[in-house]
Amino acid sequence: MGNGYAGKILVVDLTKRSTSTLNTSDYAEWGGGHGMGSAVFWDLCKDKTVKAFDPGNVLTVMTGPLQGTLTPFASGRCEVQGIAPEGFPIEWYSRSGFGGRMAGQLKYAGWDGIAVMGKADKPVWIDIRNQNVAIRDAGPSGDNLWGLDTAEVEQAIYKLVRNNDTVNWTQYGGSRDSGRSTMNPGVLSCGPAGENLGRCASLIHEGGGGAGQGGFGAVFGSKNLKSISVIGTGAVGVADPKALMEARAWAESNWWDIDNLKPGLPGMYTSTPSGAIGADPINDVGSRDNSCLGCYKSCHGGHTSRGLAPNSSCFDSFYNMMGPFSADHASSDNAVTTDRLQRMGINAWEAVMSIPWLVSLFKLGILGPGKQIDSKLDWADVGSEAFNKAWLEALAYRTDVGADLAEGCARAATKWGRYEEDTTSGTLAICAHGYAHHYDARKEVEWGYGTALDGRDINEHDIALTLYWYTSMAPLFGMPYIMPAKDLVEMIGSTLLPYKDPMMLDFSDEGIYSDAMIKFISWHRAYNRFWKQSAIFCDWGVTDWINPYTKGYKGLTPELEPKFFNAVTGKNLTFEEGMKIGTKIWNLDRAIFALQGRTRDLDALAEWQFVSSKMAAHSVYEVPYIMPAFENGQWSYKNVNSRMLDHAKFEDWKTRYYTFEGWDPKTGIATRETLEKLGLGKVADELAAAKKI
Amino acid sequence: MSENEERNDETTYSPQSGLSRRQFVTGVGGIGLGVVLGGVITGGLAQPASAVAIEGSEGYLVVDGHKCVGCDSCMMACSLTHHGDLSFSQSRIQITQNPFALYPDDLTVAQCRQCPFPACVEVCPTGACHVDAANGNVRTVDASKCIGCERCVDACPFTPSRAIWNGIEKHAEKCDLCADTPFWNEKGGAGGKQACITVCHMKAITLQKDVPVQSGDVGYNVNLRTKDASAKLKLPTGDDGFYTPAEVAAAKAAAAAAAAAAAATVKVGH
Repeated sequence: MGNGYAGKILVVDLTKRSTSTLNTSDYAEWGGGHGMGSAVFWDLCKDKTVKAFDPGNVLTVMTGPLQGTLTPFASGRCEVQGIAPEGFPIEWYSRSGFGGRMAGQLKYAGWDGIAVMGKADKPVWIDIRNQNVAIRDAGPSGDNLWGLDTAEVEQAIYKLVRNNDTVNWTQYGGSRDSGRSTMNPGVLSCGPAGENLGRCASLIHEGGGGAGQGGFGAVFGSKNLKSISVIGTGAVGVADPKALMEARAWAESNWWDIDNLKPGLPGMYTSTPSGAIGADPINDVGSRDNSCLGCYKSCHGGHTSRGLAPNSSCFDSFYNMMGPFSADHASSDNAVTTDRLQRMGINAWEAVMSIPWLVSLFKLGILGPGKQIDSKLDWADVGSEAFNKAWLEALAYRTDVGADLAEGCARAATKWGRYEEDTTSGTLAICAHGYAHHYDARKEVEWGYGTALDGRDINEHDIALTLYWYTSMAPLFGMPYIMPAKDLVEMIGSTLLPYKDPMMLDFSDEGIYSDAMIKFISWHRAYNRFWKQSAIFCDWGVTDWINPYTKGYKGLTPELEPKFFNAVTGKNLTFEEGMKIGTKIWNLDRAIFALQGRTRDLDALAEWQFVSSKMAAHSVYEVPYIMPAFENGQWSYKNVNSRMLDHAKFEDWKTRYYTFEGWDPKTGIATRETLEKLGLGKVADELAAAKKI
Repeated sequence: MSENEERNDETTYSPQSGLSRRQFVTGVGGIGLGVVLGGVITGGLAQPASAVAIEGSEGYLVVDGHKCVGCDSCMMACSLTHHGDLSFSQSRIQITQNPFALYPDDLTVAQCRQCPFPACVEVCPTGACHVDAANGNVRTVDASKCIGCERCVDACPFTPSRAIWNGIEKHAEKCDLCADTPFWNEKGGAGGKQACITVCHMKAITLQKDVPVQSGDVGYNVNLRTKDASAKLKLPTGDDGFYTPAEVAAAKAAAAAAAAAAAATVKVGH
C-alpha cells in the first residue's frame, strides 16, 4: 500500500551543479502542491527579499498525494511557486498551476516535487529519469536547446530522452528491471520570452498546459534553465485502492454520460469538453479533445490535424480578439496566433490586457513611428496575423516597443509616465499588483479582494462559474433559473464549512462590505490554498457547487475532496481539517509577502475600480453581472453591473477582515499569537527579526 | 517431465540443475536463460499430427483511437486494479501520445488483441503465458511461473509490445480482461467488467465477443463515435477521424446562414 506520496523532493542547486533530497514526510503537514512548495521555499530561500532574477530565488514545481492517482481534476496538476517577476511594484511571491501528464511522471519517478535554486553558468536543462538526475548542457556545445521555442524544445527532449525511438518501449537504466516506458517524458520549458527575462513569460508543458501567470518562465531564464524533463517508470501506492476505484465510479456517475449527453447549464463549461483551438468542420480540420491526466472533464484543449496550439484553451486565444480586424479572422488564424503565443511562452493575460491599451495610445498619437513611444510596428493593422507575429516577437526578443513591454505593462506604463492616468481611466485595466483584470472586482468582490490580499490575479472560479456566469447567462439564454436565489445560496452556503452561512454569498451593495463577506473571503482563501492548490484539485473541477447531472443540481463539494484525499492517503482528513491547513498556508504566504515589504496600503486595487463603472478595456468576454443579493429582507438575482467600489468602505472592510484573521489591523500582518496558534512560531521569529511584528 | 505437469514456484525446472523459478530469475547458479524447456501450451485441444489448436478468447478490447482524449485513466485503472498501485509501466494498455504530432497521428491506443494465435503463449517456455480456459480463454501470464526470459515481450507482433515486462514486480504480464484484479470490487474477465472501460468517460474502449478482423488495425481501432454525442460535441464522426462530407456541408450551410443573418441585421440598422 502507500499514501499517495512518492516520498522525496528533489533539490537542484544550479550554481553548484549538485542535487540533494528532502523527505516529503518532513513537509506532510502542508498536504502537497503549493502549501508544500511554500514551506520548502521558506526553508530554502534564506533571504526572501531577493529579486526574482537573483540566484537566491527558489522555484518549486510540486505535486501532492493525489497526482498520478486517477483522482479526477487532480491527477494531472502541478503547482509552481517562487518570487514572481510579474508582480508590481514588488515581485510578490506567487504561484501558478499547470496540467498535463508531467505530474504523473514526477510521481512515478519517485519525486513529490522539485526545488531549483542558484543559477547555472551556462544554459542547462534538468534531465530526470527515475532517481537519476543529470544537469545537461542546453547550449550550442551540448544539446542545443537554448533559443528553441516551447514546442521545439519539448519535441527535441522527447528524442533525446528516448534515443530517437518514440514508438517502442524505452529502456531506462542498464538492467532488465530498471524500468521501461512507452511514454514521452513530462517536460516543462520556458520559451524565448523567458530566456530574455520577460516578466510575463510563461512555463509551457505539452504545447499549451501553462503556468502562465507570475512570469516563472523568466525565473527559468534567469537561472539559465531551459527545461525540466522527467520520466518515471515506478509506482505510487495508495491507502485503499478499492475505495479509490469506487470514488472514481461515484464521481463519474455524477458527470456527463457521453452516450446520453444532456444540456449543461449556461456559462458553466459543464456540458462539453473544451474543444481544440482551430478545429474547423468547414475546412475539414479534424480534431480530438484532450484531458489532463486522469480527468474526465476534458477541458485541457485538444489536438487538430493542423497541429497548432495543442492543449490550449479558453483564454489562450483571446488576445487575438482584441484588435479592430479580429472579427475578420477565421478559426484558422486563431490557431496560428495562439500557437505563436504558446511557443514564445508569454502569459496570455498580459497579452490580452496590453492590446487595447496600446491601441488607445496609438489613437492618441503617443505610440507609433517617431512618436513619444517610438514603435515601428504597424499599429493600424492590430489583430491581423502579421501584426500579432511581429508584436509577439518584439515582446519575446525585447525589440522595438517590446524592450519596455517585456517588463510588463505596469512597469512600461510607469516608464512612459502613463501608469496613474491609464489605471485610473481603466484603459490599462490592471486589477492589482500589475496583473490583468480577469473578473470584475467591483461586482464579484471575492475575486478582487482575494487578488488584492494575494500576490496575483487569483484565478479561482468558484463564484465566477456559479454565481456570475450561470446567474448572468441564464436570462440571456431565456432560461429560467434552476431555483430561486434564496434556495441557491442556501444550497451552496451549506457547503461553506464550518460557517454554512448563505449570507456569505450576498453580493448586494451592502453585502460586499459585510462581516459575512469577511467570512467568505477567509473561507475562499483557505479552501483554495489547501483543497485546490495543495491537495491539488483543479480550479475548473472544484468547487462543484452546481452540478447539472445530480438530483436537485447539488454539487459534490464538500464530499468529493476528502473522499478522494482519504482513499489515497488513508489520513481520514475532514473537509474542515483541510480548511485549517489552508488557513495555515495562507498565513505562511502572507508572511512571505510581509518580509517582501507588504503593508496594508499595498493590499490595494487599481484606481479605475473605484471611479469608473465602465467595463475593463480588454473585456470582450464579460456579460453584465447578475448575482445573488439580499436586500429588504429577501434574496434576488440582481444586476450589479454598474457598481464601483468605495475606498472608505473597502478600507474599513480590510480592517475588519484583518482583525477576523488575527492580523494587526494597522499592518495587515499576522500577530505572533495567531502564528503560534497555527504552529508557525518560527515564521513569527523571522518576521520579528525583520521587525515586521 | 510431461507437458501437462503442474508447475509452481518451487518446482525444479531444469532437469540438470534443480533450480527454482526464483533462482532462474536471479541467475543463481550461473545458469542463464538459454535452457530450452520446451513450449507448453495448456488448455489446448489435441489434434492429429503435431498441431495444437488454441481456443479463442471470449472477449476482445476494441478502441476508438480518434475519440480518446489521452487522459490515461485506463492506464492508471489497469495498474491500480491489478497491482494496487499506480504506474504507467504496469499498465497492460498503453496510450502513446505526442501533442505536437498532427491529429490523428498524435495518439495511439495500444491494447492487447487477445490474438487467436497468441505468439506470446506459443513462445513461453514454462506455460506462464497461457490460455486460461477458466477465464474465457483470455491469454494471460501466471506470474508464479514466469522465469523472466521476455520471449513473450519479443514475440508480440505489435509495437509497442502488448506483453510487457513489469520491472517492479519482476514478471511479465499482459491484458487479462481484468480476470485477476484483486484491488477492485467488480468481477472482471471476458464475462465481467474491465477497469479501462469502466473509467473511460469518452467510451473509447469497448469489449466485443466476436473475433475482430485480424489483418491490419481496422478490427481493433473502430468508430465508436456514431453511437454517442460526438456530433453534438462537434467532433468529427468519420471513420478516418475527420468530418464526414455531410458534416462539412452542414457546417458550411450554418456559416452561410449566420453570415446572412449578420448582414441582414446590419441592413436593418441602417
